[in-house]
Amino acid sequence: MSKSCFLRIVTFLLCLALGWQFWKGILALEPTQIIIGPAAHYIESAAEETGATNIVAAILFDYRALDTLGEASVIYTSVCGIAMLFAKSKFKISSTGLSFIVKRGVSFIIPFLLLYAAGIVLMGHISPGGGFQGGAVFATATILFCIVYGSGFEAVMIKPKTKELIESSGALMFVLIGFVGLWTGAGFLANIAAGYPKGEVGRFLSGGSIPLLNIAVGMKVSAGLSTIFYSMIKLLEFEVTKHPGVKNK
Amino acid sequence: MISLLTVLIPLTWAFLIPLIHIFRKTWLKRAILLFGIAVFFVTISAAISGWKQSALSFLGGWPAELGIVLIVDKLSAAFLFLSAIGGGAAFLASYGRLKEGPWRYYVIFFLLQASMNGVLITGDIFNLYVFYEVFSLAAYLLVAFTISWQAIEAGLKYLVLGTIGAFFILLGIAYIFMATGSLNMAVLSLVLPHIPNEALTVIAASLLIGLFIKIGAFPVHFWLPDAHSSAQTAVSALLSGVVVKVSIYTLLRLSLLLFLETKPAVFTVITVVGTLSVLGGHLMALRQEDIKRLLAYSTVAQIGYVLIGVGTGMAAGISAAFFHAINHMFMKVGLFIAAGHIAEDMKTRNIYDLRGLYHHRRWFVIVFSLLTAAIVGIHPLGGFMSKWYLMLAATKAGNVIPALALAFGTVISAFYYMRVLSFFYSSGDPPPRQTYPYWNLAIAGACALCCVFLGIVPLVPSLWKLVSDIGLNAVDTAEYISTMLSK
Amino acid sequence: MTIITLSHGTAIILFCIGLYTIISKRNLFKTVIGLSLMESSVLLLIVAAGFVQGGRPPILPIEGIAVNPLPHAFTLTAIVIGASDLALALAFVIKLHQRYKTVDLDKIRGLRG
Repeated sequence: MSKSCFLRIVTFLLCLALGWQFWKGILALEPTQIIIGPAAHYIESAAEETGATNIVAAILFDYRALDTLGEASVIYTSVCGIAMLFAKSKFKISSTGLSFIVKRGVSFIIPFLLLYAAGIVLMGHISPGGGFQGGAVFATATILFCIVYGSGFEAVMIKPKTKELIESSGALMFVLIGFVGLWTGAGFLANIAAGYPKGEVGRFLSGGSIPLLNIAVGMKVSAGLSTIFYSMIKLLEFEVTKHPGVKNK
Repeated sequence: MISLLTVLIPLTWAFLIPLIHIFRKTWLKRAILLFGIAVFFVTISAAISGWKQSALSFLGGWPAELGIVLIVDKLSAAFLFLSAIGGGAAFLASYGRLKEGPWRYYVIFFLLQASMNGVLITGDIFNLYVFYEVFSLAAYLLVAFTISWQAIEAGLKYLVLGTIGAFFILLGIAYIFMATGSLNMAVLSLVLPHIPNEALTVIAASLLIGLFIKIGAFPVHFWLPDAHSSAQTAVSALLSGVVVKVSIYTLLRLSLLLFLETKPAVFTVITVVGTLSVLGGHLMALRQEDIKRLLAYSTVAQIGYVLIGVGTGMAAGISAAFFHAINHMFMKVGLFIAAGHIAEDMKTRNIYDLRGLYHHRRWFVIVFSLLTAAIVGIHPLGGFMSKWYLMLAATKAGNVIPALALAFGTVISAFYYMRVLSFFYSSGDPPPRQTYPYWNLAIAGACALCCVFLGIVPLVPSLWKLVSDIGLNAVDTAEYISTMLSK
Repeated sequence: MTIITLSHGTAIILFCIGLYTIISKRNLFKTVIGLSLMESSVLLLIVAAGFVQGGRPPILPIEGIAVNPLPHAFTLTAIVIGASDLALALAFVIKLHQRYKTVDLDKIRGLRG
């Protein structure tokens, strides 16, 4: 007991010392009120160079698009791994959903929810939003299905294979859009330089490849997050149906 | 252009495999083999073209300050070569064992390959973090792939420690961004000398803590033996042979570019950690009875050797470190494949139960002995040469104690490997029926032959020049910067 | 100026709390929570780096001065990476719980170094 207490105090002091060092580092950096580095250039000329009014989207999908591809790969890896870990669990239906009133109510909300998600994805280049956020809202809709209509409903409506198809083709679409830039010689994931039409800045049809990339990421993220949720919920139900006293084989 | 393809081609394969699985299941077997071969050749050709002349690719056509640049110079090319060979060997071993069965395994494998190549060629520090995370996630999953409870536990341990490391690295990057506002490594190399010393200390400390955790150096090595020994054979070989080396490349690149002039203390820390790893790894390996754990602890020690080389901060030391890294890659891939096969064949990993193996699995034991001789450092083999050059470089840099630790560690390693071999060569009961292990034997044998060949390299001046060029190129940060900012 | 100092301080404190949680707690869920805390703290630090007094969101048309858009992009990327890490960690914990019926690290330890 005393040993673990001692260890705790040592850990605490260690963390405190680390924090103090970090704080000293912060103090040494005098905070600048002017924007330095590449960010200044982005604010200055992102609209002309990419056609997108949302500068964050311009950075994510044009200037630093490889980061976004890497980020999409991270989700892809995680989804693939979670699906692999839970591949052997059987699918069981334990919940039949909530009451009739809730089911009816949600059926009114769902179209608007999907519309909202689509709006976030498609308008990512002119307003706050984008593929990741919109994809997350799409995934929320499928999770809502599970809660309200019971877990069997979603499995019948959207098969896991369909989700896999959507996810992989979204990721592949991202790479193919990038390859157009490589083909024209402007460099991988090039936007305006690769010949994508810039459009009128601030309009819906603008920003070159940015809306397309948003759609690709949206497909990927929505299918991926939904797969993660269903892989885990599957296992949870597998657990619940067992008697807690029964030992694992 | 070709350097970009080393990332994109494996990534595309990883995205394609699920589609092939859905639409044309029968193609999967041939497609995976084809994909693996394609990745190998693309990586090798990128390494060769980068070796001849530094290859740059500007993503999206933006110059280095604005966008992300991928760069292959000699150091990157050397490690790309290492990643291609090690990845190829692991791919063959797993293909021979698993066939196309679990297709998700290959998805993760190709993601790992893509992100390893990405880490090796990227020129942007945040992009490095992103690729590093893809590669760590893939590594955690490969460890847990067998879904046995040891594997899951080792995977969780690796994940928790690896994620702590990742957040330390991200913290360092956050400080760098706060101080300078830019993330291109060449630009940072120019700007970092002008920031306050306290902030630089924090940056160096967080990057080093994060990278040491990811590498598995001695004081924070807990995950490494579990992860490397619980994974299946081919994955253990890949983790010990290549994944660790990619982390070492990151440490090498960042410490040389960012801290060579501004904070020489970083190199002292690396040397100290390396010395501790050598002693700690070997002493822990001495106590192991599980053959795969023994090899994993030996990896901790060999990481220490490489870190001692990196810690000199001189061209000779870095060349020797790379030479040892590639030697260790061949030796450990061979050893893990041989040991993993023996363990699966005999259904035990305890060395006491492997008595008398020589009389029943003759070729395996001969190959294993050759690899063991190489890793201990018997004279004409590769292991001796690299350790010799490491000692020379360390003493030249004035690090006498690490050089002594290196020699002492070699003695300990000789002791415990002898113990394993003495069990193999003693007499014992005949094991159950032999499975015909040609595939694994061929890979392990090829690795052993490569060790013999690497022993000749320092004796041939034209070959040794290739190795010494790596060190010269690595310390020449001015050339890296001018190449990167040429556009 | 004060709000930025406050967020820096919070970030550092959160980081240390997260690290302390991971090292000292024996419950695997608490470990995951600690990871989550560390992640949030680093993200807070990055976002705070882009703060400009009186800045506007970086979406055109901007009236006045804009805040730095680069940290926003990094944060979006880092959030997704952190979320994937945590999802995987939770998946591992669920798998372990399925076998051992506990999330206490002391009862799980099967591997020793």
